[in-house]
Amino acid sequence: MLRIDRRSIQNFDWTLLGLITLLAAAGLVNLYSATGSPDGLSDEMRRQLVSFGLGAAVAALCTTIDYRHFERFALPLFALALALIAVTLVVAPMTRGSQSWLFGGRVQPSELAKVALVLALARYFQRYPPGQTTRLRDLVWPGAITALPVGLILAQRDMGVALLTLLIGGTYLFLVRIPWRAWLGVAVLAVAALVALWSFALAPYQKERILTVVDPGRDPLASGYQVTQSRIAIGSGGLLGTGYRDGTQTQLRFLPTQHTDFAFSVLAEEWGFVGSCATLTLYATLLVWGLVVARSSKDEFGALLAIGVVGCLFWPAVLNIAMVVGLAPVIGVPLPLFSYGGSALVVSFALLGLLMNVSMRRYVF
Amino acid sequence: MIGVEQRLGGGGDSDIQQRIPWLAAFIVLVFAVFFARLFQLQVIQTDDLRLRSLRNSVRTLRLEAPRGEIVDRDGRILATTRPAFGVQLIPHDVRHPNVVIPALAQLIDREAGELRAQVGTPRGRLRFQPIRLAGDLSDDQLASVESHLYALSGVVTEMRPRRHYVGNDLAAHVLGYIGEIHGAQLETRAFADYRQGEVIGQAGIEKLEQEALRGRAGGLNQIVDVAGRVVGVIEEIDPVPGGSVQLTLDLDLQQAAEDAFLPDVLGERARIGAAVALDVHSGDVLALVSKPSFDPNDFAGGIDAEKWKQLTTDTWKPIQNRAISGQYPPGSTYKAFVAAAGLEEGLIDQKRRIFCPGYLHVYNRTYRCWKAGGHGWVDMHRALVESCDVFFYTIGKDLGVDRLAHFAQGFNLGRRTGIRLPQEMSGLIPTAAWKERRFKEPWMAGETISTSIGQGFNLVTPLQLAVAYGAIANGGTLVKPRIVLRVANAEGRLVDGSLPEEAGTVPVRREHLDRVRAALEGVVQEIGGTGARARVPGVRVAGKTGTAQVVGLKHTEGLDDDEISFELRDHAWFVGFAPAEAPEIVVAAVVEHGGHGGSAAGPIVQKVLARYFEKRAVQKVPAQVAWLGVGRAED
Repeated sequence: MLRIDRRSIQNFDWTLLGLITLLAAAGLVNLYSATGSPDGLSDEMRRQLVSFGLGAAVAALCTTIDYRHFERFALPLFALALALIAVTLVVAPMTRGSQSWLFGGRVQPSELAKVALVLALARYFQRYPPGQTTRLRDLVWPGAITALPVGLILAQRDMGVALLTLLIGGTYLFLVRIPWRAWLGVAVLAVAALVALWSFALAPYQKERILTVVDPGRDPLASGYQVTQSRIAIGSGGLLGTGYRDGTQTQLRFLPTQHTDFAFSVLAEEWGFVGSCATLTLYATLLVWGLVVARSSKDEFGALLAIGVVGCLFWPAVLNIAMVVGLAPVIGVPLPLFSYGGSALVVSFALLGLLMNVSMRRYVF
Repeated sequence: MIGVEQRLGGGGDSDIQQRIPWLAAFIVLVFAVFFARLFQLQVIQTDDLRLRSLRNSVRTLRLEAPRGEIVDRDGRILATTRPAFGVQLIPHDVRHPNVVIPALAQLIDREAGELRAQVGTPRGRLRFQPIRLAGDLSDDQLASVESHLYALSGVVTEMRPRRHYVGNDLAAHVLGYIGEIHGAQLETRAFADYRQGEVIGQAGIEKLEQEALRGRAGGLNQIVDVAGRVVGVIEEIDPVPGGSVQLTLDLDLQQAAEDAFLPDVLGERARIGAAVALDVHSGDVLALVSKPSFDPNDFAGGIDAEKWKQLTTDTWKPIQNRAISGQYPPGSTYKAFVAAAGLEEGLIDQKRRIFCPGYLHVYNRTYRCWKAGGHGWVDMHRALVESCDVFFYTIGKDLGVDRLAHFAQGFNLGRRTGIRLPQEMSGLIPTAAWKERRFKEPWMAGETISTSIGQGFNLVTPLQLAVAYGAIANGGTLVKPRIVLRVANAEGRLVDGSLPEEAGTVPVRREHLDRVRAALEGVVQEIGGTGARARVPGVRVAGKTGTAQVVGLKHTEGLDDDEISFELRDHAWFVGFAPAEAPEIVVAAVVEHGGHGGSAAGPIVQKVLARYFEKRAVQKVPAQVAWLGVGRAED
């Protein structure tokens, strides 16, 4: 099982490795500025480097084991992830408004749930191909698979990650063949659900955040503050940026949560339009390359897995960047490879390892 | 586990893989939206957003210019700006509030609870904002705080310039006081380049010379972080200190005049009233006192409401400058002008004598002389020396009210002297037309009688009386009192100076003035004169007493001063100049409810004159203008 096929070495995806390395390095360099302390490495930077090492090891492991074996682990891993979230709900303390952390804030089981969900859905659609999913009722099972972790994460009061998990599961909807009339029905239901959510489920501060996107000036000191400061940081970067570690918004801490949610604003301030566009181009290239891997995969499970990985990276990136540039509400979604956070980094590496795995074995039979 | 069909069917054209280009297109589309948004923020709106970034991190501080000094004619400091040391507390840096606050309270003689209430419980970035706990520490307090700073985490000392009036209440009414600019002032054009919260002169010279004393504020652009902590300085423009104002006041004479109002016996009521000393030739105000006074230092750090209320509601109005805005009937001091008028109009000559039986019966009424037994036959000289009322009743009656008024106004009475101090009053010299206008009643002939001894409607200010007597002293010239000698900028360069100004001459010939002057000398120097209390050894002094009635004679007649309640007692006047043969200085003093002029006000004038001649004897030269105490003149 651990024997590595010679052909997979020959087919090693250097492009993918190069893209990952560039992005991860950019993330670390940026984080160093965002957590900037005058005397050497900050505590956050130190911890992130440790997570980086751990992530690299996990990625290596995820690359080595033939992905086809993962199909077997899919269900146990899924069950484990759900169980961990359930445990979290019982034992974990409330931290910053949500209940998501285990082991004294070191592990976030909802991150693991993303990988588990991708594997579980890939396994499901590998058995019931999306091409044959033509009716809405065919979505009951994949819907249930997605709803389980989403529901549990909602119970943790972590709206951002719940939405993210829902979107990751929803990625597979791009593949099914359900007529547009059925989607119309879904859309009506979705609108109804959103209205219900707005009226009953959202806390006033969450509504405020959403309204702030529409009109950032409505509350410049509370929820609008973050968005406004982020826009100022990005805009003041101009074409070429203020220079590395020279952004006043960042270095003087006017930018809120700059090493987590607003890490991209730091990059945009200090590297300008040129730097931020280069980074986004790298990001988009990685995602599209993930789809190339999916397309060239030799089997459907590999393709489904690669698509899931792309979804796992695409959705948080989209939500995060839309948030920092002021196109989406402030929901605490980190930018993979850029935001500070150990669990997220390790999981991102695991996902990228899986992608590499699929890519390497595209010609192996 | 993996079906063979799937292995064979995989590889690029399965159902799933045909959908992949659409997914790729979706990703590219989303990122294209981001590029567009970044272009909007970072290229189109960058200037605006960069400005807002600067506004976040750059804090502009105003560096107030130290206010200029006010000095006396010899360059001695009357008002200056001194450093005031205060204590601030930065809540974030206080490690043990329960130790630091009580300890600090003890060091600066305050209650710990009071300080705690001042600190409160600041949150967020307010925790980095210094809280000012004390503004002006004594040297001892500062020393003990400084020496314990190592143990007082979060406590810092600060220095701010503070206005300081060296003599406390000395010349307070001339110097004035400072205070925060009022909203109404800000709206006027004169204060167009002032900003809210700025401290300006609100009274006296501080107000008049505001522009000269102000200087020009500097600025400091600091870089601050989100907590408001200063992390760097971009640029600094030093403030330009204010210029200095040299007054005509002579600190020694001012001090003598101030002291003259102190009670003779400790614990007695201090005198209320005013005194003003002028150089009879230049019009320089050498001393100007108004009592009760106030301490302008109380205003320096922003006056507290209670103290202000106390000052403004006090029965004796300590803020009012009685020397220029206190209006009193001149009493017998008026007789000198009646005498001059009588001489000029030919009603009095060398020979004319009038018999004083102690009263004058005229217009079906009896007007009494202050001396019950009468003065007998008196000429003008004797009448002034002994202040005979009947003589002046008679002259006044012959002159009539309007001719009387013509001469009084000729001595500038009833008109402002034009001194450069705010709130000068004009006094009042009644005429028949005035009464018709004011009361819609004709002038009664009897009113002329009381007018001619300075009672009735007549009102003068101490300064007016000094100017008018100054004209008698100098041979007929009315001076315009001068208070500001010169104004220099911070480097000592003259920016404004004033020359002595004349306001005209009196309508009385010199020989007549000389006769009045000789009589006034007799008031002080001759036996039987009412002004003996103003004698100065070695100097011939001329002057006149006066008693201004507060209520009609009938309420107080025949009673000693001690038997009349204070508020009903007469105001006492004395106006004197010296040396009588070649006058240099004139001093007018009024003591409210002081009783008789000679005994209450005479000594005040005497003390000022004595100080003047004592000083002159040392200097051998008339009071000379010294250069300002700051810098050096270049031209």
